[in-house]
Order: sequence, then C-alpha cells, then structure tokens
Amino acid sequence: MPPRLNLLRARRPTMSRVRISHQGQPSLCLRLAPQRSITADEKPLPTADEGAPGPNQEQLPHVSEEAASTSNITGDGGPEIEEQGTPVDEVLGRDQASREKAPKVMKEPMQPASPTGTRSFSTSTRPRQDALTSSDDSGLQTTGHKFELPALPLAAHMHLKYRYAPVVKQVTNLLMRDGKLSVAQRNMAMILNHLRTASPPSVNPDRPLLPGSPPASHLPLNPILYLTLAIDSVAPLLRIRAQKGMAGGGVALQMPVPLALRQRRRQAVMWILDSASKKPSRGSGRGGFAQKVAEEIIAIVEGRSGVWDRRGGIHKLAVSARANLNVRRR
Amino acid sequence: MPSSICWKCLSTTLTQPLRHGSIKPRIPIYLPTLAFSTTPSFQLPLPAKKSSGVKVTPKKGTKSLVIKKGKFQAENRARRPAPGERKALRKRIVLSNVNALEVQGMQNIEVENMSDQRVEGQVLRLPGPIVDQLRAVEAFKPTQSWGLFQSPGTLMRRETVDMGKLIADMSGEEGGSRRTVKMVLVGEKGSGKSMMLLQAMTMAFLKGWTVINLPEAQDITIGHTSYQPLPSSPPSYIQPAYLTNLLRNLPTANPHLESLQFSQPTSSDLPIPIPPNISLARLASLGASDPEIAYPIFNLLITELLSPGRPPVFLGLDGLAHAMQDGTGYTAPNLKPIHPYQLMILEWYFKFLAGRRRLPNGGIVMAATSQSNAPKVPSLDLALSKLEGSVVTRAGQTVPQKERNPFMRYDERVMDTLKPGRGIQVQRLPGLSKEEARGLMEYWAKSGMVRERVSEGLVAEKWAVSGGGVVGELERAVIRMRV
Repeated sequence: MPPRLNLLRARRPTMSRVRISHQGQPSLCLRLAPQRSITADEKPLPTADEGAPGPNQEQLPHVSEEAASTSNITGDGGPEIEEQGTPVDEVLGRDQASREKAPKVMKEPMQPASPTGTRSFSTSTRPRQDALTSSDDSGLQTTGHKFELPALPLAAHMHLKYRYAPVVKQVTNLLMRDGKLSVAQRNMAMILNHLRTASPPSVNPDRPLLPGSPPASHLPLNPILYLTLAIDSVAPLLRIRAQKGMAGGGVALQMPVPLALRQRRRQAVMWILDSASKKPSRGSGRGGFAQKVAEEIIAIVEGRSGVWDRRGGIHKLAVSARANLNVRRR
Repeated sequence: MPSSICWKCLSTTLTQPLRHGSIKPRIPIYLPTLAFSTTPSFQLPLPAKKSSGVKVTPKKGTKSLVIKKGKFQAENRARRPAPGERKALRKRIVLSNVNALEVQGMQNIEVENMSDQRVEGQVLRLPGPIVDQLRAVEAFKPTQSWGLFQSPGTLMRRETVDMGKLIADMSGEEGGSRRTVKMVLVGEKGSGKSMMLLQAMTMAFLKGWTVINLPEAQDITIGHTSYQPLPSSPPSYIQPAYLTNLLRNLPTANPHLESLQFSQPTSSDLPIPIPPNISLARLASLGASDPEIAYPIFNLLITELLSPGRPPVFLGLDGLAHAMQDGTGYTAPNLKPIHPYQLMILEWYFKFLAGRRRLPNGGIVMAATSQSNAPKVPSLDLALSKLEGSVVTRAGQTVPQKERNPFMRYDERVMDTLKPGRGIQVQRLPGLSKEEARGLMEYWAKSGMVRERVSEGLVAEKWAVSGGGVVGELERAVIRMRV
C-alpha cells in the first residue's frame, strides 16, 4: 500500500503557476474577478492610545506565571519562576569568555544594527490593484487566443440564461403547454418566420402604435421588433382590482392598479393567444397555431384585431374608476 | 386518394385481368348482389303508419332531451375546407420572400460555372426556367427554407462541384461518356441529401438531360393511390393515377421532349391509335389524358427515351428506405401486403439501379436515403454498409462495416439490388467545411436573415453548434431557431 502522504510529490515545484507580469495585461479571469479589499475602508484597523498597550499586547500570562501569582495570593508554594534558571543575557553580561564564544546569532543584537549589502529581490509586495490596472491593453491581447477576445463588458445576451430577447422569452414561456419548452420554441420560431415572410403591414392611423416606431416596411426584416411593437402597443397600462365589499352592501369596488412592464406584456400576450386560438385553422399539420398567432400579431399592427377593443375597455373602466382611489382601505 | 377498387373485390379483378394488349382495356363491372333471403321483399307487410296529428307534450315532471342551438352549431356553419385544401396548404412550396434583401452580385448557376472550382463555397441562384422544371419534378420540399429568401439559391459545396464535373464529363461527346453512374446518397439527418439530388437535377437540366424523378418513395408505397394488377408472374401492380401525374409533369420538366420525334411505327400493340410524327411531349400528354393507357404509354416513352441518339437520362428517387421496406400499404388478393418490388414503377427503377437495365445514352441513377421519416430497413442498412465499407467519422473514430446478423431476417431482393459488384457508388455527405459554412452564412447575412456580423468567431461557433457543419443543423442554429 502506498503511503497516504507523499511528501516527495507534495514538494514538487509548481511550474505552471500564473504570474502577473508588470508589462503584459493580466489574465481575463483576474480582470473579471471582483476587486475588493476589506480592511482598507470597511473595517479600519484598531488603534491604541499613546503609551497604552496595543490591541494584541494584553494577552493572558503564561500558565506558570499565572500559577505563581495565584500561589502568591493563596500562600501555597507555586512554581518558582525566578529560580527556574539564569537568563542568558545575565550570563553573557558578567562572563567575558562566554561572550566571545557565544553563537553568532546571539552576538548580532549586541552590535549596532545597520543593514549591509543589497538583496537581488524585493521583499515588499505591490498592491493588487496596481497589478490589475497598470498595463497597456495592446500587448498580449490576441496572443495565445484562437479567436478575438469578447469586448468587455459582455453584452446582456451573452449570458446563457438570457440569450433570447426578453419579449421573445416571455412569449415563448406563455406559448408553452404541458411544460414542453422545445415545442413552444419551435412555434415561436415559426411565428417569427411568418412575420418575416408576410408582406409589410399597412398601419391604421386610428390605432396608433407606440410613438417612435419604425416605418412598417422595416418591420418584416426585424421580426423581434415587429413582435415587441405589436405587444407593447396593445399592452394595457392598468388593471382593475375588485375590492370586496368596499362599495357597501357587499358590492365590490373597482380600483385601477398600475401594471409593471412585464405584467403589461403578459396581459397583452394572453389576449393575443386567446383570440388566436378562437380563429378557425386553415391548414393541417403542426404549424397551424403558430400561423394563427402570427396573423393575429399582423392584425394588431394593422389595427384590425379585437385586442385593441379589450385594451380600450380596460382603460375606459379604469378612467371611470379613478374616483374610487380616494376610498381608504379598511 | 382512396383506391378505386376495393380490396375485397380485387380477387374478382384478378380473374379478369386488365389486357392492355387488346383494343380497349375491359373495365370490370360489379353487379350489386342481393342479400340472402328466401322471402321476396314485396311480400313483407307495409310498415305501420305513424300516428299523425297533435304532438303530445311531455307530461309534467318528465324530462325530455333538448338540444340547444348553441355556439358549436354556429361554428359548424362556417365553410368547411374542401377535400385536399388543408394538405395543399401544408405542402405549399414558397420560393420567394419579397421582404428579404436582394443579394448583390449573386451569380446564376450555369453550364460554365457548375463545374468550376472557384464557385465552391458560394451560393448560386437557380435560374427561372430551371426553377419551373424543378417544380415539375417536385424537387423542392416544403421543409426546406426556400421561402425566406428573395430568390432560390443553392450552396455549391465540394460534392456539388464534383457532381457538376461528372455531369459535364458525361455530357461530352468524348468516349467514356455513355456510361451509367449508379449512386446512393447517404448521410446524417440534415446533411443535404435531398438538396444534393436537387442540385444534380439542376445540372442535368442545364446540360439538356431528360430527368425522371420519383420525388417521394413514401407516396408510392403508403397506399394512397389506386392500383391495378398486371397479368404477370409474379404478380405486379401498376398505379395508374401516379403514372398519369408523372406523365403530365414530364413535358414541363423536360421541354426538349417537344423537339424529339416519336420514331416507333404505330404497331398493333398500342392501346389507342397514335398519330405518326408526334413529339415525345405530345406522347406523354396523351398518356396523361387517361389513366387506363398511362402504363403502356409510359413504357413506350421510356423505350423512346432509351433509343439511340437521345440525350442522357437522370433517374432520381428520394426516400429509398420506403421503397425497400418489407411491405407496402397495398394488399394482394390473398390479403398479404404487397412488396414494394411488386409495384411496377419501383421495380422499373430498381432495374436501372441494380444495373439489370442500362441507360444506353448514358446517365445517372441517383437514390437518396432519408433520416427524418424513414422506416427501419435492416437489409438496406446492411447492404449500404457493405457497399460503403468502414466509415471514418469527423471525430476520427472508425465505424466498422456492418456484419450480417444471423438472427435477423434480411430481404434478399434488397440485398440483391445493392449487391457489391454492381457498380453502385455510395456517396456520404459530410458536414460543410468552415469555408463553405462561412459562404452560406454570408449569403444569409446579405439576405437580411442574420443581423450579426459574420466573423470568424461566429462561423466557428455555429459550425461547432451544428455538429461540425451539418447544413440543416447550421440553418436551424442560425436562421430558424434564432428566437
């Protein structure tokens, strides 16, 4: 059985240690790592008053010293600290011969301390901050990499979990039935492809889209924008919350509640899916529902969809229910 | 389309087989037979008359069934789709997208550049007349994404250029050009086998060949077209509706048939009197006019096309496994399933593939396998593996040649067709190289389908994601699933 602790192997020099050089740029992991120093600002070092012992100097005495002081109080014969031996300094002080034959280490403090000679290396460390920033970026940028390094900071979609546009991700999840995400993704891709290939929509001026939207002819080449524009244009700003019993006589009071962006989009998508599922299917096969959803999105941009009326109804109700906002909740 | 003859009546038909040799094929008449009964129906007492008059309202307390005219009935009043309408929508082939950007400087595929090494890795446009011809032979598939681009274009990969060289070489007047090349395309799912077939047909059209394509073997074998027995032993079956359709599309696909004269003198074998000095295109449309004469006219036409002095012939088939599976959707009079080799059109094709019949004017017999919708046919797998030998994958692993499993029953007809020594080449389509992938992605970017910058890093990333340049997967990764 080999020995558990292999001392020889443990002492093996590590050749592949990463060094931070002064000239080159530090490695990517160092640049990306959070740079923090805890002791500097957040937790200042403890200080001592002038003349008083420092924070680490007031420690418990040695066991034998403590026992001696205890016995001094109680009168017992404790350990004799004084009689344990003669300090070396005393011996050296009184004996000339031993002072000459003393080891070199003990002789040194007796001489005045003055550094002699120079070291070939530095014993002071550079602050880490310094090592991380003090270099030019051009030197080692591309050497050793097969492809160019990504531009920093990384774009939002470079994260694995956020690689799709937020609207696309939300709609995909709302399309999903029975937890079948890949089916929903295929449907989503079909919807976007349908938007790509359909003829450019003719926008109805009575149903204005979001202000600042691009011209309709630009939409098919950017289907994600097309989808986002349709959803955001019909998304309601508010919802109506029925406050139970607030109107008196057990009647619920209608209260308008503002919605956040994601909530607004969710409501719009639910309306779209609702009205798409009520359409009669024309073809057969698996692309049917995606086609209906895509046609509904085009209908929204063209102002033909019934979703606009649902949004208008909610807004109308919310305006009339504005007066109820003064009622205090009990 | 349901069969015009019910399979229970088929035994009756066999006793009076179709004789196309005679003047007119005799159409069997089925007389309605009476149900077995000894009592004449008129002796039965008349049914009792229903009591007419006032309707009795149900008694109080009894429940009666009331069907409300609700929402469901209102929905049903909407126009029902006509038969075949929904399928036509599903199988619709769109070849253009007006929204896509037009790619500047895109070349057409032509006789001059189809075998040129320099166009390797470029996407070339299919010229308009060729597109019509390809439509007629049903070379486009609804699953391919032609509908995303301004005009149909195809990537010239290394194998395509090699095929172009072969077709150009075989079209030449030099010696050695009059040979028959037999080829089976294999490769993993999405590796471009059907597209290779399309490209080969494109180049054959450019060179003025006659192209006869069986676009989906599945359509032949699943039992969706009518069938008739032929007086042959072993029994063989023809599919008149399928043949009619094939003959109808032939003149559109091969416009040069207009200029080829029907040379065979009118013999007594012909089912209908054929006027002399008609073109082959006219002959094909004659056959397409009546399903009853489609088969003899098809035979005549093939004999004409293979007679000396005619252009080379390209015979294509997609979905080989369907044509080589154990049975079809059709049933014989003994209620056993019919083997695909008993279907005339497939038997005819396999004669050329196996080399039992030659193409005297030269030509290519090309069959493509399919990986997405194919039945398991162990005989086909074994035969192809024996033809191909061991395969070295991209990862450097060697997949050894398959060996005959002693516990498996193999179809000897399939094994015989694809026997080594028949000169059948197996062409495996590997993934694209990175240069080819780059060319394709640049084409997508120029068409506006890719909004990112096509850099070396992006190409390498997508190439790796697509399993080493499998072109179908590359398309899914870059333009289909880019959600």
